[in-house]
Amino acid sequence: MHHLVLFNIIDQIRSLGWPGAFSLLRNGLVLGSLYALIALGYTMVYGILKLLNFAHGDIYMVGAFIGYGVLVAFGGALSPTIPIVPLIILMFAVSMAGSGFLGVAIERVAYRPLRTAPRIAPLISALGVAFFLESSVQLLTNSAHYLYNGYQLGGKNGNFGPLLNPVFTVDGIPVTVVQTLVILTAVALMGVLVYLVYRTKFGKAMRAVAFDREAAAMMGIDTDRIISMTFFIGSVLAGAAGVMYGLYLGDTYFFLGFLFGLKAFTAAVVGGIGSIPGAMLGGILIGLAESFSTGYVGGQWSELVVFGLLIGFLIVRPTGLLGSHAIQKV
Amino acid sequence: MLKKVGVVAVLAALCSVVVATTAWGSAKPRTLAAATGSVKCGKKVTIGVAYPETGPAATLGAPQWDWANFAKSTWNKSHKLKIAFVRGDTQLAGNNPQAVQVAHAFASNGKILAVTGPAGSQEMEDTASVWKGASIAPVSGSETRVALTRALPGTPRETTPGYFFRTVPNDGQQGDNVATFIHNVLKKKNVRIIDDEEAYSQGLSLQVKQDLQAAGATVTTDHISQQNPDYNSVITAIPHNTQLVYIPWQVPAMAQQFYSQLRANGDKQIVMGSDGTDDPSTFKGAGSYVSGFPVDTSASALKSFQKAHNGDPETFGLPTYTSVMVNANAINNACKAGHGKTTRNAVRKAVAKVKLSKSLSLLGFPVQFLKGNAGKFQGPGDMGGAAAFGIYQIQKNGAYTRVG
Repeated sequence: MHHLVLFNIIDQIRSLGWPGAFSLLRNGLVLGSLYALIALGYTMVYGILKLLNFAHGDIYMVGAFIGYGVLVAFGGALSPTIPIVPLIILMFAVSMAGSGFLGVAIERVAYRPLRTAPRIAPLISALGVAFFLESSVQLLTNSAHYLYNGYQLGGKNGNFGPLLNPVFTVDGIPVTVVQTLVILTAVALMGVLVYLVYRTKFGKAMRAVAFDREAAAMMGIDTDRIISMTFFIGSVLAGAAGVMYGLYLGDTYFFLGFLFGLKAFTAAVVGGIGSIPGAMLGGILIGLAESFSTGYVGGQWSELVVFGLLIGFLIVRPTGLLGSHAIQKV
Repeated sequence: MLKKVGVVAVLAALCSVVVATTAWGSAKPRTLAAATGSVKCGKKVTIGVAYPETGPAATLGAPQWDWANFAKSTWNKSHKLKIAFVRGDTQLAGNNPQAVQVAHAFASNGKILAVTGPAGSQEMEDTASVWKGASIAPVSGSETRVALTRALPGTPRETTPGYFFRTVPNDGQQGDNVATFIHNVLKKKNVRIIDDEEAYSQGLSLQVKQDLQAAGATVTTDHISQQNPDYNSVITAIPHNTQLVYIPWQVPAMAQQFYSQLRANGDKQIVMGSDGTDDPSTFKGAGSYVSGFPVDTSASALKSFQKAHNGDPETFGLPTYTSVMVNANAINNACKAGHGKTTRNAVRKAVAKVKLSKSLSLLGFPVQFLKGNAGKFQGPGDMGGAAAFGIYQIQKNGAYTRVG
């Protein structure tokens, strides 16, 4: 039986050849970029509060809906009323701002009052917020699926638009504008985040709060403000990921954030929760694992592989790839 | 001292009130035996509607609820005996204990005379004994597993005849139609079937696969999760010689997205969806095919529904309309026969005798339930006569044209 599965995999690798391998690599990198952006929110919040913000996947879902709202407000993908470049920029801007403020509001209402409570309390609160957001969107949208139709954006008569133009091809496999946009935007946003955290005064304050909140407060750092800003930045990235998801994959509905959120959380754990470069690496790794397992083994295996990685890392290397052991004062 | 005696007296009086109220409450018909007894029909009767209101399958439950409500308002406009609903959230998607809980709640609710739903075949299998004990025969608008109504070699029937009906043709009927069309009309010999890992999808996939293989076609299979919207890697894995991809899924938006991603990858295979993807307002992949009920799109009821739902026919929920109509007719008939009184058992027996004309069923054919086996797949509780699926081709303008 096991031999049969192995033979099937080898057979599939042979039959797809190099073009197939490149196609899976491309798919994995694009998907991984999305996971990485969402994973950053999990890891930043965990780094600063030691809180697993399970509502983060739903902020990403709300971000996708905000982007969709902007798209529809300007005529939709099939008949946009403004040129597509400013339209896409506007979608990103509104979604990132909206998600950012949602993140801040959640922190203010659901987490800040529990700052001194036992750690289980904010965790449960996070689950509550996640269900609250899902159910609210479900009620508002009547559980319907909404399609961005991003491939048709800018196309004529419902045909594919410029987002599907190939930027370059490898072995006949195209890498399209939308795929390049997802990867480059993710890289750019991660670059900005790294600069912000490691090269600015705000970033230094953030790291100080993450290291020792009490000591940071005694040094005059407004810890509440830093925590709010951390939620804002993490949620802004989730909002951006929501729009990228919409343009690339398109099917937006209330339960969208659940599985995506879990996979991004897995990425954060695999990369080393609390580590920003780790979240990026973890996201890419999970995206590739999902893509290659789907292509070579079968779609039913992808989640087994992804969450198998989570369990494997928790057992073998609980700190993740780039995480470090925290030294605790006793 | 007198004050103490007064306090004790007041407390004793309060206790007496609580005990008396509880005793009176428990004397009300809350037991199953009482719930199955005779009921006065009055001006309004109650139907239980079991569907996934929340959870990941809520997307499928929403059109069912919308169509159920449409049936209720249509019925209530023209009948003296009005219907009301009690709804139960079964959640579907692997949460059968929730369905069992809903079944028990409905069973012990003496007001409920009939049930529309539940939504998933597995839910019916797990709740069959509860319904039977409560003398209720659920009428489902979406449970398609063959074994619910027909015993097949190696697979016994999963419900007792007379205790389950459905207003949707089963997997065997649909699968047979689809496979015949693919093989005999489209003449495709290399087919990829991708299921969405749900009971509905897997049942249909298996049926089509068996039929196509029996006809000599080469069939390969793959699976996707209903919650995973990225099909790019599944598309990469499709063998190069594949001529047609069959996707028996339940969410039309997923079918449209699959079609778009397939074309974006430069692949030219024909896409064919099942009745779950039959939604002209969402699945618009030109040149694709879907199987679905031969619905009369010019019917005024369908037009009114679409008008009230932003032009979306929500076709997946349409058989739930038919189910409510079957139950409403059955209760009405049973109440008339009982001179203003009826029982669940009488309603259950009346369901088996209901006849809905083509214009009332909205399914494109009249509805009448079989009393014995018919054809290769139908059994008691299935619709007989012309109950079948049509095959539609999606045109460039998004219109569905019947081709089979």
